[in-house]
Amino acid sequence: MTRRKMFFRMITASLIRRRSRMLVALLAIAVGATILSGLVTIYYDVPRQMGAQFRNYGANMILVPSVESDAFETMRTVDDIMLNIIPNEQLVGVAPYRYETVSIHDQPVIAAGTEMAGARAASPYWHIDGAWPSKSGEILLGGETADLLGLKSGDKLTLVYTPEISDETPENENLSGQENGQENAPENADQSGQESADEADYIPGSELEMEVTGILETGGSEEQYVYLTLKDLQELTGSAGRLDVIELSVSATREQLEHYAERINMDIDMENVTAQLVKRVTQSESTVLTKLQALVFLVTAVVLALIMICVATTMTAVVTERRKEIGLRKALGASDQSIIGEFMGEGLLLGGVGGILGSGLGFAFAQYVSMNVFNGSIQFQPLLLPLTVIVSILVTGCACLLPVRSATDVDPALVLKGE
Amino acid sequence: MFLRMIKGAFLRQKGKMLMIALTVALGASLATAMLNVMMDVGDKINQELKTYGANITVVPKAASVLNNLYEVEGGGLAEGAYLREDELGRIKTIFWAFNIVDFSPFIDTEIELDSGNKATLVGTWFNHHLDLPTGETLDTGVKNLRTWWDITDGAWLDEQSINHISNPVMIGSLLARQENLGAGDEIKLKTRYGEENAYIIGVYEAGGDEDHQIFAPMDFVQDLSNTDGKLTSIEVSALTTPDNELAEKAAKDPSSLTIKQYETWYCTAYVSSICYQIQEVITDSIASPVRQVADSEGAILEKTELLMALITILSLVGAALGISNLVTASVMERSGEIGLLKALGAQDGAVSALVLSEVILTGVVGAAVGYLIGFGFAQIIGQSVFGSAIEMKLMVIPIVLILVIFVTLAGSIPAIRMLLRLRPAEVLHGR
Amino acid sequence: MSLLELKNVSKIYGELKALDQVSLKVDTGEWVAIMGPSGSGKSTMMNIIGCMDRPTSGEVLLDGKDISKEGNKNLTVIRRDKIGLIFQQFHLVNYLTAVENVMVAQYYHSMPDEKEAMEALERVGLADRARHLPSQLSGGEQQRVCIARALINYPELILADEPTGNLDEANENIVIDIFRQLHKDGTTLVVVTHDPEVGEVAQRIITLEHGKILRDEKNRNFGS
Repeated sequence: MTRRKMFFRMITASLIRRRSRMLVALLAIAVGATILSGLVTIYYDVPRQMGAQFRNYGANMILVPSVESDAFETMRTVDDIMLNIIPNEQLVGVAPYRYETVSIHDQPVIAAGTEMAGARAASPYWHIDGAWPSKSGEILLGGETADLLGLKSGDKLTLVYTPEISDETPENENLSGQENGQENAPENADQSGQESADEADYIPGSELEMEVTGILETGGSEEQYVYLTLKDLQELTGSAGRLDVIELSVSATREQLEHYAERINMDIDMENVTAQLVKRVTQSESTVLTKLQALVFLVTAVVLALIMICVATTMTAVVTERRKEIGLRKALGASDQSIIGEFMGEGLLLGGVGGILGSGLGFAFAQYVSMNVFNGSIQFQPLLLPLTVIVSILVTGCACLLPVRSATDVDPALVLKGE
Repeated sequence: MFLRMIKGAFLRQKGKMLMIALTVALGASLATAMLNVMMDVGDKINQELKTYGANITVVPKAASVLNNLYEVEGGGLAEGAYLREDELGRIKTIFWAFNIVDFSPFIDTEIELDSGNKATLVGTWFNHHLDLPTGETLDTGVKNLRTWWDITDGAWLDEQSINHISNPVMIGSLLARQENLGAGDEIKLKTRYGEENAYIIGVYEAGGDEDHQIFAPMDFVQDLSNTDGKLTSIEVSALTTPDNELAEKAAKDPSSLTIKQYETWYCTAYVSSICYQIQEVITDSIASPVRQVADSEGAILEKTELLMALITILSLVGAALGISNLVTASVMERSGEIGLLKALGAQDGAVSALVLSEVILTGVVGAAVGYLIGFGFAQIIGQSVFGSAIEMKLMVIPIVLILVIFVTLAGSIPAIRMLLRLRPAEVLHGR
Repeated sequence: MSLLELKNVSKIYGELKALDQVSLKVDTGEWVAIMGPSGSGKSTMMNIIGCMDRPTSGEVLLDGKDISKEGNKNLTVIRRDKIGLIFQQFHLVNYLTAVENVMVAQYYHSMPDEKEAMEALERVGLADRARHLPSQLSGGEQQRVCIARALINYPELILADEPTGNLDEANENIVIDIFRQLHKDGTTLVVVTHDPEVGEVAQRIITLEHGKILRDEKNRNFGS
């Protein structure tokens, strides 16, 4: 039998035969490691997960026509180019809007054509009393407009598009708009009205029967519009799918967003498109998110520091208990180094096993938190496994080293003679 | 004798007892810090979320839609289509007055510039100083409600210190570019009631339609548009509680609630109950939540609180296991002493009582120290993350105390049971 | 040349003279009992002989080499190579089996060898208990494991501290028989005890009192 074999035989015997005490130590280390890996995983994932929550605030980037060109050609072209710049998984919602002035019950109203699924994803804060329009022929009324017209869900109405009416529509700059995306709306609606009037001179006006599916409540300027599908609006006006604005909700940091906007604005293929950040949303998000991250960071740091000291004191207690054994080994002729070696070997083994155990439990905890708080799965950080194991081993090692050293300093005779 | 033995144990085992006390203090400080932070994090994040601006808008009841869609030429509004400026102070007298962080009145009017272009002139408060009937003071206005504005030229308009400048205004960046204006320039503003020269203090970039507008102090705009004492809207930024089912039900129709539900709703800082209370004090007004802000706030608050709660639970479990582990380890260590006591004829109960009272006494001392340290940690977190103190919650004290006692008990009992099972002779013979 | 020689050895703890100018010689193969009431300096002498403590003054020669000024590290090495210790409280590692406890001594000395360890246990009549943990052994059996452990590295000197202090009479006799056998094999034995039954079977009896040697005499009854 070699010395090394005996070394491991002693360590494993100590771990297995002193089960209850070793379990105490292992438990302490595993708890420490669980907290380490759990909190660090959460810390790394919070910006991503919380960022997704901040998408509740709606669009943080808008695409508007450049000054030279007054509208996009089609949604499709923009879509294709978009894919090359903003990764699909970051894109929470894309809502194209086209504004036209129409009339309902002889009252002028601004109608917004959009893709309902996109609008819903990009503006999660919209409260719909009723249902979203799901097919052609259905319309969503802004709350104020609905009040003004005395309409409610389920009512039928007739949309009338008369190109001339746009001339009488005043410039609607007085709208106390909350929604930045719609800043161009009145202007463009105006121009487009004139254009369509030129193109469709022979059509005196077209009509469309619509059913109200829901009333939109936002507390903002959206309540002044009516919403229908792009297709319906196209049919009503008789002109092809040009758009006034596209709202994007992108799950990205402010720096990333700025980078995307810059790239879109530089891109030659998209020279007729200008990307703008919705300042209110991006700026506030970065402020709050930074604080949140700092909070989780500090909390993690404090918890880890305290727990690690806790683990260390427990290990110290477990080792201190064995002073007598250390004295005996010395009496039998063991050198300090070999005693320290054996105890460290034991501690490191415990630290390693506890660390692996803790990594698993910690990830399970992080996953649990993620599922409960954010309803989403958490990303596994592969680097965290070795990190947790190494930290566990270090903490355990340091915690063992002190009491073992002090025990080896003591005269074996004193230790053996009793307390 | 019992006390003497305990005293002896403390004096003779100073090191060991100190270690238990230290670990308990660490655990208790962790629990204290986390509980305090957790209980305060909602308020703190709520404050931070105020950077998104107002979450309630108040408009006149009489057809705000008419105002927006038809009377845009400005001025020609019917009586009652305005809110009254003299009622503004009442907002700070509602039940949830304490939760109203900022508010600002607005009056809009259409103006004509030198170039013949039209623009919207908005009268408002910038950093208005208010002396409230309650004796409190409040500095509020758009400076707090438009935190995302970038001042690209000049400075924020400071109502307190610009008395020497006549008619100061701030102008949106796009309008400034269009009219080729900058800070320090004079601008002529014309309405149907008269015209005035104004002095541009600063140019702001808002990233929205406000970039086409001009912001000026309240009085100036009211004079120019002949709307003395009148307002077109009020923006209110309030700390709110995330909506639940009750709040949603109440928001639709407060009269559908039972009296009990109504009271609960009214006395909870839901955005809908604050709106309702504002409507009560401002004549002919409709206060409605800005969904974009109010809803998102709710979601983020809820998530943050839940996240912190779970992290707190994890830390508490960690602290508990840490403490009970150490207690177990150090009670086991005393097998010799316990064997001796038993050999001397001590009953199991007496031995357990001795060990338990020692450990719990140590634990309580540790907990007291830990509470103070933990409170310090909470303050460090509060100051460095939010720049403000974490409020001391009295509830934390009993929680920590119970936790510590329970945990030290839980840690010692299995160890004591194990030791009691040993035969005294075996223990004494050093096995 | 004597195996062990103490020259004017004193050990002073503060005011107390635990050992006062003690001199003695022990030859190879001798069986010496050191006796005396508690407080007579037995333990101190045992610690000094066992290389676990140093005298305040005087010389301790082991194999002709003065060890009284050696540092802790060297003392450990000397103890490991030359001395086998037997304790009153056995001091077995409680999570190692009997044979493993013997092997620990081998491990620190040179190479663990399970076969040799088993042989040592056989010598003390414990071959069949080799795989048991200390908690499964009786006091006498534990003491025999302790003896086997002391013997395993063929030390020049076996030093026993109250070897029967925790044993009943039957086990005491077993241990004494083992000592007899060891003596016959030529092992040098120093037994520190206050128990006359154990002391009086030795070849030579040294009686200590107040840190001085009171008597040092050959046992006339030895071998009977």
